[in-house]
Amino acid sequence: MATTLAFAFVSPLFFWAGLALAAIPIIIHILNRRRFRLVPWAAMDFLLRAMRKNRRRLRFEQWLLLVTRCLIMLLAGLALARPLGCQSSTLANLAGRRTGLHVFVIDNSYPMAYQANRPGARTQLDQAKIIAKALIRRLSSGGESVAIVTAGRPAAAVIASPAYDLAAAQAAVDRIEQSYGGTDEAGALALARDIARADSASANKSLYLIDDSTRVAWQGGGDALQRLGRELADLYKTGITHFNLSVPGQSNRAVVALSCAQSLVTDRFPADFVADVRAYGPGPAQSKLVWTIDDQAAAPGAVAVNASPQASPSTYTATALSGGIHVIAASIDGQDPLRIDDTRYCVVDVVSQLKVLIVEGERGVGGMGSSGAFLDTALNPGGNDRKSSYVATERISDLELGNKILGDYRCICLCGVGQIQESTAADLEKFVRQGGTLMLFMGDPVTAENYNATLYKHHLLPGPLTKRVTVGADQPPRRFAFDPKGVLHRLLADFAGHMNTGMEAAEIYSYWQVDVAPDSKVERVLDFLPAEDAPHAPPDPAITVHSLGAGRVLFYATSADPNSEWTTFMAHQAYPALMHMLILGTVGGGSDWMNLSVGQALTVPPSIKLTASPSLKDPRQIEVPLRQTTDADGQSVYRSPPLQRPGLYSLATGLANDKIAVNLPPQEADVRPIDDAALRLALGGIDLRLEGDAVPAQTAAVEPPKDLGWGVMLAVLVLLAGECFLAMTFGHYRRA
Amino acid sequence: MTQLDTDYRKYLQPKTLARIASLDLRARLIVEGLMAGMHRSPYQGISVEFAQHRQYVPGDDIRHVDWKVFAKTDKIYLKQYLEETNLHLICVVDASQSMGYSSIRDDGATWSKYDHATAIAASLAYMAVQQQDSVGLAIFDSELKRFFKPSNSPGQWKVVAKELMQVSRLRKTQTGRVLDQIAEKLTHRSLIVLLSDFFDDIDSLRKGLRHLRYRKHEVMAFQILDPMEIEFPFEDVTLFKGLEDLGELLTEPRSLRASYLAELNAFTDELKRTCRGMHIDFTRMNSGEPLDVALSAFLATRSASIK
Repeated sequence: MATTLAFAFVSPLFFWAGLALAAIPIIIHILNRRRFRLVPWAAMDFLLRAMRKNRRRLRFEQWLLLVTRCLIMLLAGLALARPLGCQSSTLANLAGRRTGLHVFVIDNSYPMAYQANRPGARTQLDQAKIIAKALIRRLSSGGESVAIVTAGRPAAAVIASPAYDLAAAQAAVDRIEQSYGGTDEAGALALARDIARADSASANKSLYLIDDSTRVAWQGGGDALQRLGRELADLYKTGITHFNLSVPGQSNRAVVALSCAQSLVTDRFPADFVADVRAYGPGPAQSKLVWTIDDQAAAPGAVAVNASPQASPSTYTATALSGGIHVIAASIDGQDPLRIDDTRYCVVDVVSQLKVLIVEGERGVGGMGSSGAFLDTALNPGGNDRKSSYVATERISDLELGNKILGDYRCICLCGVGQIQESTAADLEKFVRQGGTLMLFMGDPVTAENYNATLYKHHLLPGPLTKRVTVGADQPPRRFAFDPKGVLHRLLADFAGHMNTGMEAAEIYSYWQVDVAPDSKVERVLDFLPAEDAPHAPPDPAITVHSLGAGRVLFYATSADPNSEWTTFMAHQAYPALMHMLILGTVGGGSDWMNLSVGQALTVPPSIKLTASPSLKDPRQIEVPLRQTTDADGQSVYRSPPLQRPGLYSLATGLANDKIAVNLPPQEADVRPIDDAALRLALGGIDLRLEGDAVPAQTAAVEPPKDLGWGVMLAVLVLLAGECFLAMTFGHYRRA
Repeated sequence: MTQLDTDYRKYLQPKTLARIASLDLRARLIVEGLMAGMHRSPYQGISVEFAQHRQYVPGDDIRHVDWKVFAKTDKIYLKQYLEETNLHLICVVDASQSMGYSSIRDDGATWSKYDHATAIAASLAYMAVQQQDSVGLAIFDSELKRFFKPSNSPGQWKVVAKELMQVSRLRKTQTGRVLDQIAEKLTHRSLIVLLSDFFDDIDSLRKGLRHLRYRKHEVMAFQILDPMEIEFPFEDVTLFKGLEDLGELLTEPRSLRASYLAELNAFTDELKRTCRGMHIDFTRMNSGEPLDVALSAFLATRSASIK
């Protein structure tokens, strides 16, 4: 049975204001009767006769106008108060009109490309669009407005200002593209919150969250999501509805990581590539992984992998990589509902000749007389014989350093260089920041004053040099704190378990003590054992490494020169091995900039030689604009907009045509949905209307109460027109 | 010529006349202003006794050209006669309280219906005296307050003007009774110019007019109303305080305007019908409009009576 009157008000204050304002015409009437003009009048007889004849009519007209004016004020207040008629209200159904704001948060992150193969909707995103459009079609044209937000990272407002054009809103839904980024639920909900706040005029606000309910999307937000959920519950009074598009048994297999085990890949040594294959959901755990190198299937073909939600690394060792850029790809063989993350790429720059510049502070007599000669021999025993080592060394004196183009080398070793000029230190800092490796070896010419004033100032020392420690003739020599059975730094990992390498037997007679700040990010690769007379003193660092920009700085506290009598380490077999380990561990492959994730921008480093303006094409061979800009060091670089499509991009630099790998964010591969309770909890325990993956039936329960404001306002306008007509008819209007 | 028109007509505007305190000056200005536009001497008498010849000037009536002289001398002369009185003009002016109503103001000076009536009366008197006509005056409210018998002496006009200015207006109107009294007092057939708002009982008025007509007097009735009375343009709530003790009324005039105007027009129409039935010229005048209407009507009536 229909209820005749059942009202709530959006702004009750206006209703009370209208009640108060209704008294205004009465007050004006009373005041007018008190405030009058006094006119002596000769033709009084006619006036009195006119009055006698019309007294009743005039009184009726006055009362009618007064009542009309009071009603106008009362109804104007009522209209502004926006009465909401309930569903069963007869009056609401007759005069009411649905108004309100409807905000749709549609997840278009890459897991929404999951092929659920529903009728008319191949992917989850297709189904999300169908649901959104069906809901928009049900809205009241002209009264209800729509805003649309996409949750693919970065979240974006497709329609930020509420649109009343429902056809345009449906078209906007159709235009939503499949994103290849992760989910940015927090960003999307923040946008929905801002839209609701901006549209304070709408009383009925509804929020629709349409996504696949993955745990990564909803449980990765932490407190921010809970806080947003509570804010949204306050703003969206009409309700928040969540559409869960996940299908029963939703599963996915994905290659979530692919990288090279070595930081430097040379054409001399085998390189290990590690792929992490995971399986989420109830699908088959056994997967086959196919490795390809430059689009060519690599032996031994498909490899069986027992994938699980936990890390399942699978290693492929490439043995015969030639120098240059290579693309390694790992793909899951077989059918998968979410195919887009089944393949992952890794671009590697295989080094055929690692150019190392050895700068000597001391030049001696004979082949091994200079301070870098022994290091040169250790790194490149064959001299200029290309086949003997992957390292191509060049030895110069410190006086020649200023004439060298540092960008031509991957590593620069300063061996006992005494005086470093300010400009040289600046050049070295720039070299490191661009990805080069600087190795500092001490020696007699080194002075703390000069090093601290130049290299330390340019962040090329792990700390200021404090004191040169020299063991007296009557004292035992110092040794490295090296235990092959203990925990070793990754740079020394190859020594693990190997006894009698000489590392522990090396004697050190002199070294520079460096003050490494406790909170610095300097890695201590190796320490000296404390002196015997002070066994509990903190150990001094022997080898440290720290990052600076894209490069690294390695500090070696003692000398590399056997002539200096600082150490006997060079006499041990471990010395050449350690030097190679340090080089291989610190010299970067130089291919980091070529391996990106979706959403990252490509920056062509200034070290890349360009003979023409570079051009970038995406996997569909569509040109991606590159803009010339300046990096933090003031150097001119080319930068692309964030790359949104995964796959292999082609970068033409004039001389070469390099490949850029853009991979999907790994964490989104977990498509396992969360349950309703967890979803509510993720949103701060708010009241949530939960729907499935189908368009809900149009029931009265989901319809918001109808806003009678417009109907009442229409009545006010009719009354206003009536008042004007009556006033003119009765002669109660002021003539011009 | 246009300039001349403009000049003389300004003396016919009530707002101009309101600033002139002296009634005789007002009357002179009105008459001279009116006549200046007529290109014709208003003082040409109608008589049978020849007086002299005068040379023709443009604008003179060619009926009075002496054609014999023209035939002999080839010059145009007019024959002039000794003028004689042939009209008794009695100005009957209503000096009741209602005639004091005025809505016309200009620089502090007011122009009431009574001012309008006296200006017309004085002008007519001046014009008549200039033509050797006899002029009489009756001023009344609830009773006949002043009555001067008609006389054609040059000082008569001064007397009339002085009396019109001195009369106070504080009482009700009883026009019918006063007209009876005037009819009894007049012995010669006269032209009676009645200047009033006629806010009175129409039956008694009808009776008085009939009495005058019975005595063979020519009557011209001028109903003088204020622009406010004619238009009733009031907007705000107003307390109308009736003159002549007719009470007061607080009302919203916009709603009453149509009914009031209907009542007023019905009264005027009734008055007009009454006058027409007795062959009385009736003219409703707006005291906010120029006075030439009244004077022109008078001259036309006088000419007709002479013919």
